[in-house]
Amino acid sequence: MYILAIESSCDETSVSIIKDGQEEISTVILSQMDTHANYGGVVPEIASRMHVENITLVIDEALKKANMKMTDIDAFAVTYGPGLIGSLLVGLMAAKTLAFIYNKPLIPVHHIAGHIYANNLVKRLEFPLIALVVSGGHTELIYMKEDYSFEKLGSTLDDAVGEAYDKVARVINVPYPGGPLVDKLAFDGKDTYDLPVPLNDDSYNFSFSGLKSAVINLAHNERQKGNEINVANMACSFQNRVVYILVKKTMKALKDYNVKNLIVAGGVAANKGLREALTKACNDESVNLIIPSLKYCTDNAAMIGVAAYYAYKLGRVAGLDLNAKAVTTLE
Amino acid sequence: MKYLFIDSATTNLVVAIIKDGKISYIYNKNEGHDTSGKMMPILAEAFSSSCLAPKDIDKIFVVTGPGSFTGIRVGLTVAKTMAYALNIPIVPISSLEVMASGLPGTALINARRGYVFAGSYDKNLNNIYPDSYMFMSDSLEKPYISYDNFDFTVEKPIVDVLKIIKKHENDLAVNPHTLKPNYLKLTEAEERFYDKADR
Repeated sequence: MYILAIESSCDETSVSIIKDGQEEISTVILSQMDTHANYGGVVPEIASRMHVENITLVIDEALKKANMKMTDIDAFAVTYGPGLIGSLLVGLMAAKTLAFIYNKPLIPVHHIAGHIYANNLVKRLEFPLIALVVSGGHTELIYMKEDYSFEKLGSTLDDAVGEAYDKVARVINVPYPGGPLVDKLAFDGKDTYDLPVPLNDDSYNFSFSGLKSAVINLAHNERQKGNEINVANMACSFQNRVVYILVKKTMKALKDYNVKNLIVAGGVAANKGLREALTKACNDESVNLIIPSLKYCTDNAAMIGVAAYYAYKLGRVAGLDLNAKAVTTLE
Repeated sequence: MKYLFIDSATTNLVVAIIKDGKISYIYNKNEGHDTSGKMMPILAEAFSSSCLAPKDIDKIFVVTGPGSFTGIRVGLTVAKTMAYALNIPIVPISSLEVMASGLPGTALINARRGYVFAGSYDKNLNNIYPDSYMFMSDSLEKPYISYDNFDFTVEKPIVDVLKIIKKHENDLAVNPHTLKPNYLKLTEAEERFYDKADR
């Protein structure tokens, strides 16, 4: 079964063709990052405008790369949420139009289900598993006993981890997008700053706004005293706290639920500090760890096409009145 | 010839199918919300009640703006995708011309803070005051035609799809890949960005 999937929830226009949920036939990702960098972050209206300008070009490119025709496609899948509503709508309308004119199933995919199923491109998921979802909008621990069964164990109470990275980057004058650069700088620095470990308790929840504020206050105080902060050391100190708490709570969830499979999903899965720490912890505990290759950590339609296959097998198809949702729970 | 007409730029949604110079289906309602949810079911109904399939369409006429940014994108994405996938010629139409199609005058869309999208059309649909984003001015030709409320008198638009099609039937089709919305206005972020660059 060939699924053509569309993802446009934020600032990437992406189209992918996936065979049977595991084989990537073609993927095209058009990133708008360079444009949004001018504004220090994603501007929703600009993102929507760029999606509508590029959507058919990206669809066409994905078909050409696959050497396929639209009539070879068995179903159309699309991210319906969560995300920027104007951006989501472009992908959604394109997918609905294609499903309508070719009279094929329309499969709605939750963006986070997509990130989770990106791991299925590495290796067929083995259940039960724990998924650590870490991105600019999400920080969650999810227990999956089978395909498309998502039990949320905990989540962030305030900022998402990627959001905290971007805000800390701004405070220490690291340009947008800050997350990857802070990660890189962390490896050049030492853990010299006295920062708190955030929400270091027995729950599966996270909190990053306190840690972020601690960085802001520390930087502010140093500057008041006329001292420049050591950017690499601050990046290292911040990243160490973040990675510590993410790894600690993830390993606790694995142990408590007696699960031996861990997958990591979302943009922050590209973070080298986190990848290394999780790899080591999983080795020590004999846990099977899957992390998507770097290109599937950020937003892409391949993961949507993979998730769509398993959604379709469970009968999850939508009507032509499917709408986009800025906020929606994973279920 | 069989034509599809789509206008989702204003609060008034129009979807029409024209068969050999006659309207075989029209949805023309000023309900103003959930265009994204309603669009495809209406389109499906348009085709089934006209006993046509999307591939039977010879030309698509789509409104590219000005108006609601999101509304424009909903209709344009559908039209572009269909035109591209089925290789159907596509022709862009002005939302203001649609509003003035049944009653000549100046079509207005409220763009807030005293600003409007405005365009004046004569009875032959010539755009005598070009479509603009501007501060509202008394000098624009009356009557004023709008779906929106203003503190002056406006006439409700009368949509004459056949007249619009007749006028644009032989317009050159554009490449669906490069067909863009006609917002007539930068985003606020871009306005600030270029302001800063100018100073």
